[in-house]
This record gives sequence, C-alpha cells and structure tokens, in this order.
Amino acid sequence: MSGFLDGIRCGDCECSVDWSEKRNTIASIAAGVLFFTGWWIIIDAAVMYPDGNSFHHAYHTCGVIATIAFLMINAVSNGQVRGDSYSEGCMGQTGAKVWLLIGFMLAFGSLIASMWILFGGFVVPGKEHVYPGIAVFFQNAFIFFGGLVFKFGRTEDLWQ
Amino acid sequence: MAGIKALISLSFGGAIGLMFLMLGCALPVYNEYWPLFLLFFYILCPIPYCISRRVVDDTDSASNACKELAIFLTTGIVVSAFGLPIIFARASVIQWGACALVLTGNVVIFATILGFFVVFGSNDDFSWQQW
Repeated sequence: MSGFLDGIRCGDCECSVDWSEKRNTIASIAAGVLFFTGWWIIIDAAVMYPDGNSFHHAYHTCGVIATIAFLMINAVSNGQVRGDSYSEGCMGQTGAKVWLLIGFMLAFGSLIASMWILFGGFVVPGKEHVYPGIAVFFQNAFIFFGGLVFKFGRTEDLWQ
Repeated sequence: MAGIKALISLSFGGAIGLMFLMLGCALPVYNEYWPLFLLFFYILCPIPYCISRRVVDDTDSASNACKELAIFLTTGIVVSAFGLPIIFARASVIQWGACALVLTGNVVIFATILGFFVVFGSNDDFSWQQW
C-alpha cells in the first residue's frame, strides 16, 4: 500500500502536450459548443411551445441575426483589419473595418434585442410561461460569446 | 500488428456504442426508433475534418483557418448528436431512460471516432509501416 503514488509524475509524462499550439483548436471547440448549444436551446423552446400565443414566431429573428453577425465577425481576419496581410482584398483595410463594425453592431443589437424580448414580451406582461423568453436570451448570449471566443480566442500567429 | 490491434479494439468500441443506441430504441419498454436519426450525425461527424485535411496541403504551420472551421463544424455535429435525443425526451417522443442509453452510446461512439483519428490520423506518407 505504501508507495502507491510514487510513480506519479507531473508534467514530464508522454501525454503532456504543448497547450500553446493547441490554443486555436480549443478555442474552436469552445466556440462550437457555445454556438450550437444556443441553437439547441431555442429548438427546445420551439418544440415545447409550438403555438404562437405562448411563443411568438417572430422572436426567432433575433437568433438568425445573431448568427449572421457571427458569420460576419469571423469572416474577416484580424490581420486584414490591421492591414498586415499580404493581399489588400477588394476593399482594403477600410472595407474590412466597416464590415467588422456592422458585424459587431448586429451582434450587440441582437443581444440587446433578446433582453428586450425577455422582459418586454414575457416578464412584464406577466405571461404564464416565461421559459421561451429565457431561451431566446440564452440563445443569443451563447451565440454572442461563441462568436467572441471564435474571434479572439484564436491567435493568427499559428497560421504562419 | 499494432494497427490491427487498434483497429479491432476500435471496432469493438463502435459495436458497443451502436448496441447502446439500439438498446435505447428497441427495448420493449421504450420501443421508439426515432433515435436512429443519430446515425446521420455519426456519419457526418468525420467529414469536415477529412475535407480540411485534404484541402490544406502544407503541414508546416501548426494550425490554419480551414482546419479550425472544420473543428468548429465537427463540434457542432457532436453537440447536435447530444441535443437531439434530449429534445426528443423533453417533447415526450422517447422516454428519459432511452435518452440516457442513447447518450451513453453517443459518448462511446464519438470516443471511438476520436480514437480512430488519434491512432490512424497521425501517420504521414513517409511511414514505411502502413496498416
């Protein structure tokens, strides 16, 4: 019994990987989990409350715009915005900045709109089921933070 | 020989996972075959990574945008494979016990697929002992 734990080594085992090289992979996985969990939350709400009275179908717009914002934010690389990429693209650095600005505006807008839907559409009118509003809010929050993780969690130094 | 052993143990894992999936469907208590749609997710799951590995030819860089997008999409397919039976159970299409069995099968099968890529994905073209 004595000496069970003697064989344990920290750090120098075969399985110790270089985490700085894995950073982009981990960020991609985290972003994927966040993004698709958000969509499955809203699918759950849509399945549980299919009628338009308890969950108005127009509230799905919010998540769609958040998804478009996700795609817009991540379609432009940081190098393109800073201007240190090899090619200018068709609109150059300014175009990339404007594109990114619109993308972030859509992202923040959908997040704020989801809070508005939660309170203005469900909490304040005293609806019987508040869960769809919470689902809309969490969907947009998950997609928003997934986009942030996918944009800023990865480093482009690993692409060189 | 090591390749053969790994292949046999991986196929055993896949069979165990599919057994859990079929148990969730076919036990007389449950007897609902909706979770079989998860087979699509199992088939789709390795496709993005395979495409990105074929598209990206230079292996000098540690990572690149195409590979990260592929990992993102693969994660999405895996999350969907876990989300679908939970939605089924919440909508009372299947029972929660069947959902638990299917989720167990999910874990086993995705671990098997991951193991396949860990074991066979790393050998480059210059290794003289192909399996």
